[in-house]
Amino acid sequence: MSGKPGYHGRILEIDLTSGKSRTVAVPPEDLDKFVGGQGLGMKLLWDRLKKPGVDALSPENPLMFIPGPFSGLPVPSSSRTCVVTKSPITAPLKSDHRHASTVTYSNMGGFFGPEIRFAGYDGLVVTGKARELSYIVIDNDKVTIRDARKFKGMRTDAFDKAFLEELGDRNYKTVYIGPAGENLVPYSSIIHTAGRAAGRGGSGCVMGSKNLKAIAVKGSGQPGVADHERFLAALEKARRALYGTTYAKSWAEQGTARAIVGNSNAGTESVRNYREGTFTEADKIGGDAARRDVWVRDFACYCCPLACKKSGVTKGKYGGVVHDGPEYETGVMLGSNLMISDMPGLLRAIYNIDDLGLDQISTGNVIGFLMEAYEKGMIDRKFLDGIDLTWGSVDATLAMIEKIAAKEGVGALAAQGVANLSRHIGQGSEKFAIHVKGLELAAHNIQGNQPRALSYVTASRGACHMSGDDIAMQNRRAMLDSTGMCFFPTFEPALEEPMLELLSAITGHEYDKAEFEKAGERIFNLEKMFNYREGFRRGDDKLPDRFFEDAFTIGAKKGAVLDRKKFQDMLTTYYQDRGWDPTTTKPGEAKLKELGLEFV
Amino acid sequence: MTRDNEQTRQHQTTFTRREFLKGVGVGGGALVLFGQFGIHSAAWALSGEPTLKMVVVDYNKCTGCRTCEAACSSRNRPAAVAGKALPGLGNPYFANIKVHNFNPDVDVPNVCAMCADTPCAKACPVEPDAKTGRRAFYRDDVTHTMHNDANRCIGCGSCAKACAAQRTGVIRPNPETGKPERMCTLCGGDPQCAKRCPFGALSYVEVRRDRKFYGLGPEKIAAELARNWYGTATLGGVK
Repeated sequence: MSGKPGYHGRILEIDLTSGKSRTVAVPPEDLDKFVGGQGLGMKLLWDRLKKPGVDALSPENPLMFIPGPFSGLPVPSSSRTCVVTKSPITAPLKSDHRHASTVTYSNMGGFFGPEIRFAGYDGLVVTGKARELSYIVIDNDKVTIRDARKFKGMRTDAFDKAFLEELGDRNYKTVYIGPAGENLVPYSSIIHTAGRAAGRGGSGCVMGSKNLKAIAVKGSGQPGVADHERFLAALEKARRALYGTTYAKSWAEQGTARAIVGNSNAGTESVRNYREGTFTEADKIGGDAARRDVWVRDFACYCCPLACKKSGVTKGKYGGVVHDGPEYETGVMLGSNLMISDMPGLLRAIYNIDDLGLDQISTGNVIGFLMEAYEKGMIDRKFLDGIDLTWGSVDATLAMIEKIAAKEGVGALAAQGVANLSRHIGQGSEKFAIHVKGLELAAHNIQGNQPRALSYVTASRGACHMSGDDIAMQNRRAMLDSTGMCFFPTFEPALEEPMLELLSAITGHEYDKAEFEKAGERIFNLEKMFNYREGFRRGDDKLPDRFFEDAFTIGAKKGAVLDRKKFQDMLTTYYQDRGWDPTTTKPGEAKLKELGLEFV
Repeated sequence: MTRDNEQTRQHQTTFTRREFLKGVGVGGGALVLFGQFGIHSAAWALSGEPTLKMVVVDYNKCTGCRTCEAACSSRNRPAAVAGKALPGLGNPYFANIKVHNFNPDVDVPNVCAMCADTPCAKACPVEPDAKTGRRAFYRDDVTHTMHNDANRCIGCGSCAKACAAQRTGVIRPNPETGKPERMCTLCGGDPQCAKRCPFGALSYVEVRRDRKFYGLGPEKIAAELARNWYGTATLGGVK
């Protein structure tokens, strides 16, 4: 082992334009300061895009798959890969740079991140553009780029099977795009194991722009650790904190789907295009219903004791496919938000969206927006190519999903996201075009949840429900998503100490709670600087009018609505507490220096 | 008579698959065991005989997390740290148990079934040792674990081929030397896979020494499971 413990100290860079690949050393101080995943991805992006306004769909924009220091070690729930690139979706209100957009990152579970580390890398960086549709095969040090034209247009479920047959070795772990990514739908996802996704933020679109259908990785190596004995002892403790606990069993029982009913009851669910926080039929699509009628089995990502993924099959008109879900986000965005309470229909929509390689959240949000515009008479059936897009209609939803992925007819418009759609439709529709900076909001509604509103508006990739509801949470999550560990086990307080202990034992850098948050703060601030350089200002940290005007009419939070002044006051305090200029949101010199970000 | 036997065997095999793939199953070829004897609990010992124990899989509980691989590797591929032999970091490449993932979602942990009739050892072409009677690839008569004498092994891969053709296919020839790997060691009586499985899908149980095997590789098991769980037999990946 040379260089920094816990790492290979190198990334694999593949240039699809020249067809050449090479390993590139990562400076140990970058690994130390930016850790991995979201953080290291951000640093690599900063280093590579030296000026603002680079077109996200140009060959210059690197598409990066970054695991973290936990990845490839049997640390519980450390399965995550962070896909980092420049966003093809977001845009500032105004900027001097034509293609200005934010950084984007999308965090995915499964087995891909650990396998990258087994193959001997701390990350994969794909640049350039292949002449024809291609795929990349990485077998330890051996890297090949092959023709993928015969897979053109293939949906992800079929491709997942066909690709492994082509490779002839089930040990490969694969990621790929569907027709949506090939067609450059901005909110396309990258799919793994036919059901796991790097969904948010358009990484599948960037992959499509590179003419890259898929990547396969396998390897036989593993990084070392700084303190072997300490690692083993902390691993023991981490396992004990989760194995067999009520907490772990609760995840295995319902996964995130438990919240479909829970959040509806609490009045914090995205319902009817964010008009309400409660869905009166949530129980029909919730975790109990799914456990009773759909789910057959529970599945886990690499070395995870939670097993939050569920698979099952339904019968009837919409049945016949085996898939996972509903999860909270998929179930709410395609269920509650569209007033769909038909479980088989909901599951068919979820399956089709993954199969086509779209982001579940943005797709559900866009269709909800169109349903409302149609209901309000702002668009007619002709606009919708004859689709009768009414609330709760499964058939209309399925038809719209196909159109979006194919960019056909109204789908070409809908593919551009709600910000662009509302601009096209006009008539005041921007009031209920539910996005921040161009990225659609997720399944958490906010009329009665101001802290979550903060998460949406200040997140670095546009409306992100995972960013964190306050500064400390944001810093912790930016760091967590840099380690390779999943967010879900971290609600268990007993895991915190062994997790910090593991990170210290692996990297040789002593982490306590404060040091962990400090690293996250550094990452968050570098993201902010990237976005600032592109031209994003305080005015971009903006919510649509709906959240200040349309109070909930039903549910536990009936009457709830955000207050504009309170919201702005909260933001001012937030920027000040962050050490940012409250007018421009630029991080102050003092803060940058404190975080070791003088280079920006 | 032969024909009758064959039919009986087929019947038993079918019966076993149905029963076991719904409930408790056992690693690879040992699948047939409980169905054949009509016993559905996972453990028993024959009176008067020393017990034999092995690793058994409950497919209904396996989530495909591969913690067993890491735990196996950690124990069976120790690390030398500052002159001390410590458990390794759990690189799954060196695990003797291997979880096969399929689409649709089915996971099949594959581990040496310790077949009583050892087709792997019988396939070894190395002349038996005059004193021990062992070929290079042989069974330990006490634990029934399979071993390879690397000094006498010629790396021909016959054991792995026999295992793949007739049983679970768990044996892997080392890519460089051709010498067999992935034979379960039972971790000296404390199998780490069973101990570390977060879902209780693996257990270390007593079995009959004369149990019979019909050799099911992970693909066949996965196809049965998919039929049972999802009503589909279309499984992706390598056949």
